[in-house]
Parts: sequence; structure tokens; C-alpha cells
Amino acid sequence: MRARAALRMALGAVFAWAALSKLPDMAAFAELVANYRLLPPAAVPVFAAVLVGVEAVVGVALLAGLGARAAAGLAAALLLAFTVALAQALVRGIDLACGCFGGGDSASWWTVARDLALFAAALASAALGPGRLGPRPAAPAAG
Amino acid sequence: MRTGPTLALFVASGATLGLAANALSPHPALVGRPVVSVAEAGGGACAAPGPLPATAAPRISVAEAAALCQACQAAFVDARSATEFARGHVANAVHLPPAGHPDEAAALDALRGHPLVVVYDGDYSCAVADDVAARLRRAGLGDVRVLAGAWPAWAAAGAPAAAGACGVCGVAEAHP
Repeated sequence: MRARAALRMALGAVFAWAALSKLPDMAAFAELVANYRLLPPAAVPVFAAVLVGVEAVVGVALLAGLGARAAAGLAAALLLAFTVALAQALVRGIDLACGCFGGGDSASWWTVARDLALFAAALASAALGPGRLGPRPAAPAAG
Repeated sequence: MRTGPTLALFVASGATLGLAANALSPHPALVGRPVVSVAEAGGGACAAPGPLPATAAPRISVAEAAALCQACQAAFVDARSATEFARGHVANAVHLPPAGHPDEAAALDALRGHPLVVVYDGDYSCAVADDVAARLRRAGLGDVRVLAGAWPAWAAAGAPAAAGACGVCGVAEAHP
């Protein structure tokens, strides 16, 4: 039970941090998104902004345990999309920064493996449920 | 809680939150202005297609600016922070951040001796360089342009560069 809650909260912390770290320089993040060469240039700024907002909402929902299964499912879908985007860039020989946590860290197959591991964690969290950190509420005493 | 409506709520609230947070960011992604990849822009997204904002200075490509630099026919102004300047800058560039220069008059006099002044920053939007370029034009400098692709494109092209703190202030932290 506690392991499920710990998994959910760790995943939530990763998403919350991913969103927060991008906020100081959204212009740079938009450029990193453009470098994946998957979107029309006109759509890049809005997509970048929406992505950061969705990451933040998923992170907070997982941390707070609100709609946690749906949040974990959405996290899994995002992570799968990130993994595919990274892999296609590497296969196409595009040299780019990942943009995962706002910095300029280069994308590599290690980054793909990390995203796949997070994807598996998100799937597990969605399947197993949110769990609880505290003790199970006491059952009402039998009359 | 049903999953479908919850997912829709997360996406809708995330989109709203993200657009609001972007608007409040110190360096927002400019919605409505296309952003192309560095590779497609030929050196940097300062060269993004579409009309430049009315306040933007004319652009100059890295190749053209590098040739003028090697021929000593242009002065370069670095509009980034002192720390970034110390890490690496265009050879012989004057450090002139938006906050000002310790000896602004001397810096402007040095720039007036050149037929062309090229301003650059480290940001893809070139917004800081545009601000400094506008200041230089107000100070009476004639031909002031902004480097397309900014410092990352210059460095990537292997154009003339140097490292070290600003020569006027001596230490990297002496001015912002």
C-alpha cells in the first residue's frame, strides 16, 4: 500500500519538477521542442506552453492523490510520446537537447531508457492504484 | 472518479495553466510567432520565418558577420550577462548588457568608430539584443544589426571568439 503511494508521489515529483524547471525560460523550451522537428513552427509555442501546464497538473494530481489513476494514465501517455519523439530524433540523426527538465542536457539512448523506465512506473501506478501513506482506517467495531 | 472526464479536466486545466504560466514567464514563448529548429533556421531561431516585430533591429547572418569581424569592419556588442561574457564571446566584443556599462560614453565612442555594429545575446528570440540595438540607435549609432542565431550560432560556426572577463570592469561580476 505504502509502496504504491511512494511510487505515485515519486512520479508526481518528477512531473512537477519537469514543469517548474521549464518555466523560467519558456522561449528556450519552445526552441528545444522545435528541434524535434515534429510540429509545424507556428504550433510550437502553444504546444510548449500547454505541455508544461499538463505536466504541472499531472504532477500535482499525483502528489495530492486526486484522480491519481487518470493522472498516472496521462503520465504514461506523455512518457510514451516523449520516448517516441526522442527515439525518432536519435534515429534521424538529429543532435538535440532533451528539454526534459529545462536544461540543455543532450538527448541520448540513455534518455530514452530513462523515459521508458518512467513509462513503466506510470503504467504500474495506473494499474495498481494510488495507495495510501497513512494507516488503513479502522473498521467499525462489530456490534 | 470516472477516468474519461477526469482526463479531459486535466488536459483542459493543464492547457489553461500552461498558457497563463507562459505569459508570466520571464522569457515566454511568443505565441503567434513561429519557432523553427536551429537546423532549419540555418543557425538559430532568431531567423524564424515571418515578419519581425516592429521594434526589432535588422538581422545579419553569422557568415556575413564573421567575414566583417575578420576584416575588422564591424564592432560587436555582447548583450548577455557578465558571467556568460566571461565564458566566451565574439573576439573583441564590447560587453554592453541592458543594465548599462560602467563607462557607457567611452563604450559608445569606441563603437562610433565602426561603420557597422552587430549586437548579439544568447537567447533564441534575440529580444535582449533588440533592446540594446534600439538603445544604440537612440544614442546616434547608424547601422546597428542583430546577429541571427545569437551566440549559440556564432559558437557553433566556429567564428572568432575569445574568453575572459570584460576588459573594462576586470571581473565577471563587476556589472550584470
